[in-house]
Amino acid sequence: MRIVVLAKPVPDTTGTERLGDDLRLDRLSSPPIVNPNDEYAVEQAIRLVEAHGGEITLLTMAPPGATETMRKALAMGAHGGLLVTDDALAGACALATTRVLAAALATLDHDLVLAGAASADGGAGVVAAGIAAIRGLPYLSYAGSVEVLGDRVRIHRLHATGYTVLEAPLPAFVVVTQMVGEPRYASLKGIMAARSRQIRSVSLADLGLDPAEVGGSAATTRVLAARRPAERGATRVVRGSPAEVAREIVDLLDERRLL
Amino acid sequence: MTIALFEPFEHVPAYPLVFPVFWGAFAVFALVVARHVRVWAAAHPGGPAPFERVPARAWGVVRYTIAQTRMFRDPRAGVMHYALFLGSTILLIGNINAVTGGIPQAVVGWPLDGILWTALVAIQNAVAIAALIGVAWAFERRLVSRPPRLLLTRTAIVILLMIAVVVSTELLAQAFEAAAWGDIPGAFVANALAIPLAGLDEAWLEAGFAVLWWGHVVALGAFLIWIPTNKHFHIYTSFVNVWLRRLTPRGRLPVMDLEVEDATFGLRTLADLGWKDILDGFTCTECGRCTDACPANRTGKTLDPRGLIMGIRRMSTAAERGIDIVPDSPAVREIRGSDDTRPDPSLLAAPLLDGAIDYDAVWDCVTCGACVESCPVLIEHVEKIVGIRRNLVLDESRFPHEATAAFTGMERSGNPWGQPASTRLDWTKGLAFPVPVARDLAATGRLRDIEVLYWVGCAAAFDDRARRTARAFATCLDAAGVRFAVLGQEEACSGDPARRMGNEYVFQMLAMQNVETLKKYDPPTIVTACPHCFNTLSHEYPDFGGTFTVVHHSAYLARLLADGRLTPGAAGTAASAPAVAAGSDAPGRPAGRTVTVHDSCYIARYNGIVSEPRAVVGALPGVRIREMERNGRQTFCCGAGGGRMWMDETRGTRINEERTRQALETGAQVVAVECPFCMTMVGDGLATAGAADGVVALDIAELLAEAVAPR
Ligand code: SF4
Ligand code: SF4
Repeated sequence: MRIVVLAKPVPDTTGTERLGDDLRLDRLSSPPIVNPNDEYAVEQAIRLVEAHGGEITLLTMAPPGATETMRKALAMGAHGGLLVTDDALAGACALATTRVLAAALATLDHDLVLAGAASADGGAGVVAAGIAAIRGLPYLSYAGSVEVLGDRVRIHRLHATGYTVLEAPLPAFVVVTQMVGEPRYASLKGIMAARSRQIRSVSLADLGLDPAEVGGSAATTRVLAARRPAERGATRVVRGSPAEVAREIVDLLDERRLL
Repeated sequence: MTIALFEPFEHVPAYPLVFPVFWGAFAVFALVVARHVRVWAAAHPGGPAPFERVPARAWGVVRYTIAQTRMFRDPRAGVMHYALFLGSTILLIGNINAVTGGIPQAVVGWPLDGILWTALVAIQNAVAIAALIGVAWAFERRLVSRPPRLLLTRTAIVILLMIAVVVSTELLAQAFEAAAWGDIPGAFVANALAIPLAGLDEAWLEAGFAVLWWGHVVALGAFLIWIPTNKHFHIYTSFVNVWLRRLTPRGRLPVMDLEVEDATFGLRTLADLGWKDILDGFTCTECGRCTDACPANRTGKTLDPRGLIMGIRRMSTAAERGIDIVPDSPAVREIRGSDDTRPDPSLLAAPLLDGAIDYDAVWDCVTCGACVESCPVLIEHVEKIVGIRRNLVLDESRFPHEATAAFTGMERSGNPWGQPASTRLDWTKGLAFPVPVARDLAATGRLRDIEVLYWVGCAAAFDDRARRTARAFATCLDAAGVRFAVLGQEEACSGDPARRMGNEYVFQMLAMQNVETLKKYDPPTIVTACPHCFNTLSHEYPDFGGTFTVVHHSAYLARLLADGRLTPGAAGTAASAPAVAAGSDAPGRPAGRTVTVHDSCYIARYNGIVSEPRAVVGALPGVRIREMERNGRQTFCCGAGGGRMWMDETRGTRINEERTRQALETGAQVVAVECPFCMTMVGDGLATAGAADGVVALDIAELLAEAVAPR
């Protein structure tokens, strides 16, 4: 089975993010990591390959330095990667990203495409659905579990009160939630193996795309303003025996009329 | 007087048969040992250099195997064992005499009219009695008083019986000889035993002598053949094992080469162990001191350090299957196309996990080193356990899932809490004096003036409770007028938790980064209030090119006190410590308090720093120290070492609660600690114990900060 996973480099979520003058994230301020949501997609892909065999290819649109970050996902167990990188893509909007990734996906053999729900930086949460629409793939989202049954994929689509079982023929596009299982911690064996795996870089020209249509200059959205969220109130740690702690927490919730 | 060879054995019927009988047995003994060695030889070649630092090695043998200092920590066992040890070694003279046709007697008996030999015979008679008493006492311990650490195995009983038989047949043979042919010079015990025998018929006496004498030799031979297959083998191997003991600091784990392709990282199989590790297995006396001292074992977990070492021996012995006692000649081997001198590769590849230790136990270890400290024959358990963790983490990525957050935090954010480095100086907020940062001092050329660099450590930077300790320690430094600086954002985790959890990759990353930072500022001295940082910076960073002078804050504060730079004032004059008082759970004043000192494993046991924290606490006015039973080098871990701080303790009862119980038993009002992790563990322990009686855990720096007045 050939699985393509969208794995986006994002600034470290524990770092202190800084905004540049253009109100966009200063990506140099903290080292990038693989988008945590996408790590769950990588984990799901590895589990499927462990069960059914096959290969995992990472697909990313990012600046050239992203290969370093992609290696971290390769170290978990993916087999190779395709990086779309082009100076003209700086400032590309979600729609442009969608079109570029859809074009890149068309160059890859795939039975299944996986992605995490939204990225930790942009957070638009629309790219996956857009790619599926352009490529005409069945789109299954909010997956709490993913199973491949012959030439079909079956997921549990989570919602507030339970789940719905959905099934679609392959190839299909599945967006996973964090319920699919904790991403594995890469072993040193994996890190070493990742060094020799191939990450191919392609430009817009290689994909036959026109920078004027998908580049930053053609962005369909614009940042008008940005501000920090208000500081959260101080955390209170309740200590004591389990019974005392429970009583105190109940009192606290009660005080705030949350019970 | 000259004694001809064979002359002392003129009464022994068919004496020359002793050569085939005993020396035949000796040959079998040698072959059995050789078979063990064939497996050791197939193990990993890494190991100690036997001929390096010979004086230190020789001194170790004198101290640990001849004087047996560690045995006397348990005085009863020590005396009993020493009787057996003396018996066995001194009686060796008579035994060698008997099986060599009397060579020692001929040599020693030659000058001074044989007085020396007579004296030796007398001494041997005396130690024979001592040995028999020792055996009786050992039986009493195994069967009657039964200290819990001892195993009641058939092997243990048979060994004692064998000793009893070997010693008593020799003594009785002498007694019969004396009765039949007249007193033996010097053999005062045998001569006395001969008195009641004197009435027996001559023929009976001669027959009795023959049976006993031959019985002794046969028992000796049989014992010799059997010894290498059981724990009694330690009588030989302990000398070798102690000679080969690790001479590097105990808190330094071996460096791993992480760049080798296609290697097994860490310890997975029997063959990944070094030959010395396997020798450890054959040196273990099954005494159980390690398991008895082990906090994980004490709290009902499956970790059993003795079991690990015995398991290694069992696996090594199992790997001898297919190796013949008497190997085929090279020609036969060639014809057969089979090599009966080398262990079967599949047996060497047997995994240590489940073969010697189970998965949970590997992760239950707090690397406290209590096992290593208590082992009379200097076996190293911790390195092996960490080695297995290394394999699990680096090869298989298999570890308790809670550890992932700590690993990721150290890897991405440089601290196991996963907090941003930008908050590293938050603990200094609100202090009445500035805390200079090395980078700023360097920029203005004032870095040269500092006396010490205060290595804060992640706990003090990110943990609320430990931040208070950092403030107290900085307050002491300030009160003493010490010119110091901190690294601030440039500091990263020392890497100790990663290393002890087996994640050598992340450890080395952090170590190299920190060594580079520290070299840039090249501080004259580094002081830290974290035992783990202290141990790693002082003992492990030299392997990464960073040799620094590192001092633990207990020693540093003790020195400030000794030099008169800090003077603990009368209670209540703690004017210099407003920062500590704010939010501190230290009620009242230090006067009239009883304090018990909880030693940190990595300070007291690994680094022998025991008197310094006591000097600090003892300097406080009106404070009395009450020791716990396990203190100093024998301290009992708080439960946080070895990265356990970052894992859930789900098996057995909790180590911190056990240690807190021990602390409360002293009746002290304050548990003084010297480590931020001990602080968390003891603090939690006190909370769970419902220390309503107001017992608190305080760092020694906090106790001192309350009491110091600026000079
Ligand atoms: S280091 Fe401590 S916890 Fe680990 S086996 Fe030894 S005594 Fe037990
Ligand atoms: S390892 Fe050492 S302390 Fe433990 S049982 Fe063996 S000899 Fe005794």
